[in-house]
Amino acid sequence: MLSQTVVKRLKEIVGEKNVVTDKVGLLTYGYDGTLLSGEALGVVSPTTTDQVVEIVKLMNEHDIKLVPRGAGTNESGGTIPSQEAIVISFTKMTKIHEIDTENFVAVVEPGVINFDLQVELAKQNFYFPPDPSSFKASTIGGNLGECSGGPKCFKYGVTRDYMLGLEVVLPNGKVIQTGGRNFQSEPGYDLTRIIVGSEGILGLVTKVFVRILPIPRAKKTMLALYDKVEDASQTVADIVAAGIIPTTLELMDNLLINTTEDFTHAGLPRDAGAVLIIEVDGYPEDMDEQVKTIGEIASKIAKEFKVAQTAVEVDQIWTSRRSAFGSVARVRPSYGVNDITVPRSNFPKAIGGVLKVAKDFGVTIGVVAHAGDGNLHPLILFDQRNKEETETVHKAEQALCMMALDLEGTISGEHGIGLVKKKYLDKEFTPAAMEAFRKIKRSFDPTNRFNPGKIIDL
Amino acid sequence: MGVLADVYEMLNTCNKCGGCHTACKTYKLTGLETMVARGRIQLIKAVADGKLEPNQEYEDAIMSCLLCGECAVTCPNGVHGNELVMAARRDLKLRKGITPFAKSFALKTLASPKRLGMGFRLFGGVGKSVLNKLDGMDYFRGIDIRNFPTAKKQFLEQVPERIKVQNPKHKVGFYVGCFLNYSLDQTAHSVVKVLTKNDCEVIIPKDQVCCGLPQYCYGDFETAKSNARQTINTFLDKYSDAEVVLSACASCASMLKHDYLKLFADEPSYLPKVKLFCEKVVEFSEYMDKIGVNQSELHNSSPLTVTYHDPCHMVRGLKVTKQPRQLLQMIPRVEYKEMFEANRCCGAAGLVQAFFHEVSTDITDQKTQNIKDTNADLVATSCPACMLRLQGGINKAGQKQKVMHVADLMAKAYED
Repeated sequence: MLSQTVVKRLKEIVGEKNVVTDKVGLLTYGYDGTLLSGEALGVVSPTTTDQVVEIVKLMNEHDIKLVPRGAGTNESGGTIPSQEAIVISFTKMTKIHEIDTENFVAVVEPGVINFDLQVELAKQNFYFPPDPSSFKASTIGGNLGECSGGPKCFKYGVTRDYMLGLEVVLPNGKVIQTGGRNFQSEPGYDLTRIIVGSEGILGLVTKVFVRILPIPRAKKTMLALYDKVEDASQTVADIVAAGIIPTTLELMDNLLINTTEDFTHAGLPRDAGAVLIIEVDGYPEDMDEQVKTIGEIASKIAKEFKVAQTAVEVDQIWTSRRSAFGSVARVRPSYGVNDITVPRSNFPKAIGGVLKVAKDFGVTIGVVAHAGDGNLHPLILFDQRNKEETETVHKAEQALCMMALDLEGTISGEHGIGLVKKKYLDKEFTPAAMEAFRKIKRSFDPTNRFNPGKIIDL
Repeated sequence: MGVLADVYEMLNTCNKCGGCHTACKTYKLTGLETMVARGRIQLIKAVADGKLEPNQEYEDAIMSCLLCGECAVTCPNGVHGNELVMAARRDLKLRKGITPFAKSFALKTLASPKRLGMGFRLFGGVGKSVLNKLDGMDYFRGIDIRNFPTAKKQFLEQVPERIKVQNPKHKVGFYVGCFLNYSLDQTAHSVVKVLTKNDCEVIIPKDQVCCGLPQYCYGDFETAKSNARQTINTFLDKYSDAEVVLSACASCASMLKHDYLKLFADEPSYLPKVKLFCEKVVEFSEYMDKIGVNQSELHNSSPLTVTYHDPCHMVRGLKVTKQPRQLLQMIPRVEYKEMFEANRCCGAAGLVQAFFHEVSTDITDQKTQNIKDTNADLVATSCPACMLRLQGGINKAGQKQKVMHVADLMAKAYED
């Protein structure tokens, strides 16, 4: 329980309406996209940087921890609170300060929803490339905290590559600005890149300078259908080997084709072993040539290759892909999502590895992947209420992580570590590297105030 | 606990992906996780699991849902947030009855024609004259009550039980519904006009009652069933020559056509009759489109820009969206303009507008702005509750647009 003094002060800082301390309110800020949950002491929703500073100072005075939260759609457990913390929710900091199309910069508050930013940018024919599947709900602050990816990563990179500068409230209550609207790297340490992907354990971001791009003049969306998921992975390797960089190279296996079809009725063939969604963008005159080359490569193995003809068709394909995670509860109520990533040349081997894990452990795994960047999302389906099954799933997850590391990959490509993958981090990094992480955390946050227990234990 | 146990698998199917954030207007406008399908579902699950004892905050989360159904459309897992909220409301009703008193009183009044008739007479007479003397009482909880229309005499008392035409091609049973009977009687007359112009004999049973939707939405299945039974028996037994049961209120139509089946799911012996009835139910635009409209007599002297608002029960309940737009565009010199988010809730949402007026008003304000952006002269829609809410919002915003039922526009075009 928060003391009356603290509650009163919080209400003075952010206003009565922006403080939640009742049981019902706390329950709804205790979960995210994972199976974990916790309960905070309170939830506070600031609307300005000054309020964030005041909250941090107050928490320092009373030795209370802070868990930052955007929309709470993450897949890492990164926003799960505990009884020693309050949740600081950024969903009310939703201003778009500026869209500067001359310098390709937008300045936004962390609570702006990715999709809402895209809508505003589109009015000026611009866009923000990182678009995680959750982009209709997730916030820019959350995206940068987890360093989200998305289907466009293959060509355009992840959230990190679009962060030019940040305004950050440090654990001591001081405000710093890193970077800014300049494209060139910042003098001194690249603090922006240390904060991005740090999952809120180093600082609270209150303003974001993001890089934006003009919307490409043309794009083409293609579908290649396969009998087996291994065949699809071979096309991926072939396209990469041919030196072509599509915007998007997404793979879904038969299980996901079927669960998403149940929702979207997009017309994907339910009997296909796998589908590749391939998208290219650029100048209109380049499109035909790119489509032709990709078609030739894919058709060597694919049982069918087609180009989407209408905008509606393209929309349906994307709705299917974006709803992949969401739709699997149609099969089993719980899922464990992984985001193991391997060098793209090793992608076919990783697919083989996933199939082996499914077989070895006797678990159902659906595969969706940002295949172009070697990023796989094996979704292990189960029922959390079954203890024995849950145990097996944890073992299978560990096997997947170890498999990725064996292929010179990483345990997490874009979802963050949070609580879910914390136990595997020292499998990827040496004790010396882990100690370097801890030292950085301690130098920013010596009292372990911000999002304690996430990524690493001190 | 039975009610929640019945929906437990669906509760458990929500995997908290947050996809409903974009669908939920109450979330968009409050930013509160208690005000979105995901949050509401987790709370209901906590109650089902015995981890949470229903309290006032829980009730607020459950009662503030618009039941607009958009979350069900958006959920990749096919979780119907609105149905889970309905189950939670039923559960609350069984635990403690309907609270607060004002809501319980409103629902009881709606269910009884006598009380409702008296209520409207009192409001239309004494109530309005008192209101007109009071300063600052234009809006009660965001509802434009001074301009709230009341029929001088209820529609059912203004018309005979059968309205004949010369060469009847169809016989239509007209389920009027409370709003058209007591408040927007002109719209009810419009419906009759359009039907008769299209060679339909109109049968208007006098002993019609509220369809039961308001009571059903708040978990009072008993009252809802009693009203539903009367409606079904009246139209099927006493007026069996009516080929269809037509409603010009999207909410009533959706209740009559779909929800009656759910309501009587536990009465297998009565269910076949319910099914028979439901198959006869048809919404106004849907029916006009089906029988084909006499277009030659539609006239319109001056150009008119019209936009259309899809009532929740129309777009997600009945899934009728094309027909009203087509009917509007049949009227000569009508330019049709689509508004942004035409298919999103107007903020009325039954009693939500009265009990959660802040968020309701914010939703209506957004809608009014979307209407303004079209530069339309007129907003057409298919639900009297939306009509009243939209007109109130438009008046409050100082805008000029008039709100009319699709039937009103057509009737006017037949008169021109």
